[in-house]
Order: sequence, then structure tokens, then C-alpha cells
Amino acid sequence: MSVISISHLSRHYQIHKKEPGFIGSLKSLFARKYEMVKAVDDISFSIDEGEVIGFIGPNGAGKTTTLKCLSGLLYPTSGKLSVIGFTPFDRKHSFLKQISLVMGQKNQLWWDLPAMDTFLLNKEIYQIPTKRFTEVVEDLSVRLSVKDILHVPVRKLSLGQRMKMELIAALLHSPRVLFLDEPTIGLDVVMQKTIRDFLKEYNETYNATIILTSHYMGDVEALCKRVVVINFGHILYDGLLSDLVKEHAPYKIIKVIFSEKVEEGKLSEYGETKSFVFPEWEVRIKHKDANDAAARILKHLPVEDITIENPQIEDVIAGFFLANKKEGK
Amino acid sequence: MRYFRIFLIHFHRVIENRSRSVIWTLLSVFNPLIFLCYWVAVYKSSGSMVGGWSLSEVTSYYLLLTFGGSFLIAHIEESVAIEDIYEGGLVKYILRPFSYFWDLYFGELGWRLFQGAIGIMIFILFSIFFQSLTTIVSSPLLIFLTIISVILAYTLSFLFKMLLGFSAFWLTEFRGIQSTAEIIILIFAGFVVPLQFLPSMLQQASFILPFAYMVYYPILALQGKLDIVQILRLLAIQLLWISFFACMYRLMWNRGIKIFTGVGQ
Repeated sequence: MSVISISHLSRHYQIHKKEPGFIGSLKSLFARKYEMVKAVDDISFSIDEGEVIGFIGPNGAGKTTTLKCLSGLLYPTSGKLSVIGFTPFDRKHSFLKQISLVMGQKNQLWWDLPAMDTFLLNKEIYQIPTKRFTEVVEDLSVRLSVKDILHVPVRKLSLGQRMKMELIAALLHSPRVLFLDEPTIGLDVVMQKTIRDFLKEYNETYNATIILTSHYMGDVEALCKRVVVINFGHILYDGLLSDLVKEHAPYKIIKVIFSEKVEEGKLSEYGETKSFVFPEWEVRIKHKDANDAAARILKHLPVEDITIENPQIEDVIAGFFLANKKEGK
Repeated sequence: MRYFRIFLIHFHRVIENRSRSVIWTLLSVFNPLIFLCYWVAVYKSSGSMVGGWSLSEVTSYYLLLTFGGSFLIAHIEESVAIEDIYEGGLVKYILRPFSYFWDLYFGELGWRLFQGAIGIMIFILFSIFFQSLTTIVSSPLLIFLTIISVILAYTLSFLFKMLLGFSAFWLTEFRGIQSTAEIIILIFAGFVVPLQFLPSMLQQASFILPFAYMVYYPILALQGKLDIVQILRLLAIQLLWISFFACMYRLMWNRGIKIFTGVGQ
């Protein structure tokens, strides 16, 4: 059953354009030029309960604008939106009590006080019963390993610790729908993994619907089966991430370390060489031919070590955007 | 009860930042004290009454202004305009199932109460040492009505400052309008001189503007210079202005929020 449905959503902005310099300023004083920017243009899709969707696209693609429309922050220019049966921009309290938006670059925590004070404020604002509040804070702080720093002023916490506290603050009321905008931005790889694992667990425990935007493909790969790819305000792809990879990266990478010198010319018969700096060789081979090629390499070449890998998801997505740009989509 | 608990959580934050409150209160004490020194000199050379005011009335007025500056005038316009609208901080408020207005109202009330309490302490200290130079309302009924007028004065200044902050929905430069408003408040709320000392044209203007009802008249009531009818009239005018600003608030909020883009978020 659809928890979120978007039908022909558009959000356009009017921006003021000015030529550079003093003359430009004078002209702008008498005749202002405006331009309409289509941040999101006629997009439609729906999301089922408990799904985790990766919303991906380059900067300025329209991801955050869509998230803001879905959470009720922005008034859409046109189109219909329904989130858990509500029109988001009405911002009814019963709607707001069931959603949460986490933005990696901004926080809701009081900087000068311990995170627990913000949690207490949220307890009152979301009208969470004391017993439930205590249970949730206990549960989430244990899962995120921050129990011992709940009473430390936020300004004294590291970026990763602050992000964990942000997540707790956003999840205290156990939202059914969670909008995550770059939740791991600026975090180190260990902290990124911790946050991903936590979100996965949260989704499984509470059957929460999650929409995630992230430039770290690791986040998307770890959490989302389905992705919606957006660019220039249009949806370019909506489907399984694995299908996108299969479709746009129909090859595997074989990495070989040679035990002795090999003539570079001989290597071309196995596939398209990506790089060769003795003793390391990387070759790109079609999906269906990968096993056969690996067997031949092992048989005919002096191999010390060999691995077969899928291409990096970042490369696939970048290739996908590039292909769409060339096609003028 | 929920509102009271939210207020207490905000107040806890104020106590944590007490040094900030003390500095701001001392700053608001500074101006009236300078004016007070000036008036003491005027009375020494002119006699016991100036413009119908005795020295003790003028002294009380300026001392109570320290309370006026720290309790009655809200200081939220800058954070509303810059932090919330320009930098997008409003996002966190509008996604909560709680009114932005009340969240800020209780947050600011904590600051005002704390700083106002320091202002009152300064007044009490001064009264102990210079008893003959201070006058204050003494009848229980008038005290009760004056307290109501003080609460309404805070609400009025809070609403006005909110509207001032909301101008940032449409203006890209907020500082100009903020500075203009500060000067107008300084003159027409009675921070420079009691309004009775202003030229008659400015006095007339002050009656039709809302600023005198934020500071000047509540301070006269605190001094005991207003009788019951005058205080009731003050309450009625304050309520009228509050109703007008509340309508403006709704109008500006409903329109502004539609063009808010959450930039910076």
C-alpha cells in the first residue's frame, strides 16, 4: 500500500538575474529581469510502507526540493502530493507527529545545552508519554552508543556524535516516514557505516518508510533496493538499483597481480585494459564472459593473485548521468 | 500545563546562559542612567518641577526604564529574520507539531523574565539607598492591573518584533528596516525622554502609534502616575493593538511561508 504518492509535482522558483558590475546594478534598478527555475518539473512516483528509497542525483537536481515538498516545507507550484493520507503543506499536527526530516547540514539541537534538553523539549512538543520517552531514549542511545554523552553540551561533541543525537531527536516520536537529506555528510567511513547500520535496523524494527538522498553511493547501496534518479527536475530512472547497475554497467572488473613480466600487447585478447602498471593489471570484461576470461587468464598468464569485482556504483551512476546528458534528457 | 513545561525547558536554557542575560541587562541599564544624570543636573538648575514632573518622578521613570528595556521589549526580530528566514532555521520549527509563535513567545519570555528580574533588583537596590527619589504604585488593585498591562506590553512588543522579522520574507536587506524601527521605538516608546516632554506634534503622533503602549504607559502605571480609568483605557488600547498585530501576523505568516524556500538548509 502506498504511503507516499506524488503525481505531476512541480516546484518552480522565480530568480532575479543581474548583469555584473555597476552598469548591471543600474539597469537592474529600473528593469529587473527574472527567470523561472524549474527545480522539480512534473515528477510522479509512489512509495510503499516500509520501503527505503534512494533519491539520487547531482547537485541542483531537485532532490532536496522534492523532500521539502514531501515534508510540507515547500508549497508545490502544481501537482498532487499525499503522505500517509495527508497533504503535506497543510502541516496538520497529526501529520507532523508521524514524519521527520533530518538534514545532515543543519541541526535542531540546542548548541549550548546537552542533547537531552532538546529531547525533553521534543517530548513536550510531540506529547510523548514519559514511559515511552524513557524507553525510546534508552533504546536509541544504546543502539547508537551515545548513552554516556547524553548530558554533555552539544558544542563539546564531535560531528559524528552530534549526528547521532540529531537522529535520536528526529526519531523520538517514532515517525512512520523519515526523510533523510545527506545524513552522513562530512562523517568518516566508520561513522557512516554506524549510521547506515542503525537506519537499516530502525527500518526493520519500526517498518518505517525512508527516503534518503545522499552523494555517498555507499549509503544508497547499503540501504536501498529501489532508487529514483533525478536530474534537472526530471526523473530519469525509477526501479531496482541492481537493474540500474546491470543495465548501465554490463561488465565486471578483473584485477590481476602478475608474478613475472608480461607483454602488454598479449593482454588485449582478454578484454579492455583499464590500467596496467606492472605487476597490477585491471581489465573490463562483459558480465557473461567474466568467469570464462578469468579461467583463461589463470591458465595462460603468470598470475600471483586475481579478483573479480563489480564496478564502483559511483562510476555506474556517473556513467548514467553522462549518458543522459548526451541524449539530452 | 504543556505550555508551562515548554516554558520551563526554555527557561532552563536562559539560566544556563545567565552571563549573557547579565551583560544585556547592564547594557539596558546604561542608557537610562546617563539620561538620569542629565536630568539631575537640569533639576539642580531649574528648581523642583520640570514640565510637571518632580525629580523623584523622573528618577523613578528612568530607573523603571531599565526594567522596561529588559522586560518589556522583545528582541527576536533579528533571529527571526536572519537565522530563521534568511538562513533557513525556520525549517526546524515548522516541521514540529507546535506553533512557531508560541515556541518563540515562551523562549523569549524566559529571557525577558530573567533580565527583567535583574532590572527590578537594580530598582529595589536604588530605592533602598535613595528612598526619597523613587515612587511606585502602591494600591493592590492598581498593582494587579499594572501587571496585566505589563504582560500585554510584552505581548505587543513581541508581536511587533515578529512582524518586523517577517519582513525578511520579502526583503533581502533587513538591517535597514530594523535600524529604523529601533530609532522610532527609542523616541516613541519614551526611552529618550518622557513623552510629555516631546513637542506637541510628536506627542500627538505617539498617541496613535503602538510604541508608547509597549513601554511608556506601563511605566507610568508602575510609577503610580495613572489612575484606574487611565489604566483600563491603556489595557483597552493594548488589546486593540494586539488584535491588529495578531491579524497582521496571520496574514504575513500565511503569505510568507508560501514563498519561504528554506535556503541554507
